[in-house]
Amino acid sequence: MDPLQDFESRVLPHLDAAYNLARWLLRSAQEAEDAVQESSLRALRYAGTLRGEDARPWLLGIVRNTCFNMLERQRRQAEMLEFDSAEFELARAATEAEPTQQVQQRRLRVQIDAAIRALSPALREVIVLRELEGLAYEEIARVAGLPIGTVMSRLSRARALLRTALSTVSQGE
Amino acid sequence: MKLDDDEELSSLLREQASRHAAPDSLRAGLRAQAALARAGSPAVAPSPPPAQRLPRFGWRGLSASFALGIACTLVMAPLIREAVERAPIEAELVSEHTRALQRGTLTAVVSTDRHTVKPWFQGRLDFAPPVFDLAAEGFPLQGGRVEELRGERVAVLVYMRNKHVVELYVRPSSRQRVPTPAVQKGFNLLHWADGSMEYWAVSDVERGELLRMAQGWQARLLSVAGGA
Repeated sequence: MDPLQDFESRVLPHLDAAYNLARWLLRSAQEAEDAVQESSLRALRYAGTLRGEDARPWLLGIVRNTCFNMLERQRRQAEMLEFDSAEFELARAATEAEPTQQVQQRRLRVQIDAAIRALSPALREVIVLRELEGLAYEEIARVAGLPIGTVMSRLSRARALLRTALSTVSQGE
Repeated sequence: MKLDDDEELSSLLREQASRHAAPDSLRAGLRAQAALARAGSPAVAPSPPPAQRLPRFGWRGLSASFALGIACTLVMAPLIREAVERAPIEAELVSEHTRALQRGTLTAVVSTDRHTVKPWFQGRLDFAPPVFDLAAEGFPLQGGRVEELRGERVAVLVYMRNKHVVELYVRPSSRQRVPTPAVQKGFNLLHWADGSMEYWAVSDVERGELLRMAQGWQARLLSVAGGA
């Protein structure tokens, strides 16, 4: 009923999760901000339809649909790949060139981020929701509008790809 | 790196992958939008007063009042024009400010560094506004845009104060004016001029905060002038 109250209670507590998902899916800070902005307004408009449900998967579902619509419009060629190894190798090469011991922690982060970025949006989505946002399988199924079996198979595919990509990463001694 | 099972991979991702926090500007913009939506929502419009019966005039009376109307218009027109010109610019600034919050696009150039904001204005304005990041004073610069105010292009600098947006409208002026506060529709404004530019800060933060910002701004200007 009250937009400000709806915002404070239903959107604001999950805004970081919403932004993180959009940022990972769209891989651009500006586009992520636009997507969250659009999603939040839509969420506020339909806040009345949310009765006693958990607001987080509901909001993340709206964000995720907005992001996939944006990706659909852009139709980036590279997004079609299940794992964009060219992009990953590029990011990796950039960090391997950094010599000092102090950057090793940062290098690990950069390479892990690069590996997630290289995943296709469909696989990236389940990894971000599961590993970064800690959602349960049922919640991911709700957010992505997928059968739970599909969520599980995408997760295992994404994990396999990440394991392969990261197995060659030097953790630094 | 050995990643034998999902558990290891999971904890690695959890601990190492970047989690992107929503920027404060997004949070503040959305909150402002929700507040505006609430302010605009009460659907209970004041019911119009019951129609009053018009007193009946004869034709003579009607033409007399028509003539009177013309006479009034002739006398009043210059006065009205003067009044409009003198009407406080504050109301326009506040509606500009709320429109920008509503649109959600506060900045056309995004920055945390004045060296990317200042050059952006080149070619978009016929003057070079001073640009300072007041992060040290608690007002980090978010970016800027150009806005049309009474037919003139003005620079708008966007700052954050905690979770609140503060906009600084800048245009050239030879006037001198000490910081003067005003209130318009619940927003606080602070107007000052330094003989080269005139400024309006517009925000929902307290007046004291705007004064602090103006002091920070003036100190920066002085230090630039003194150091150069």
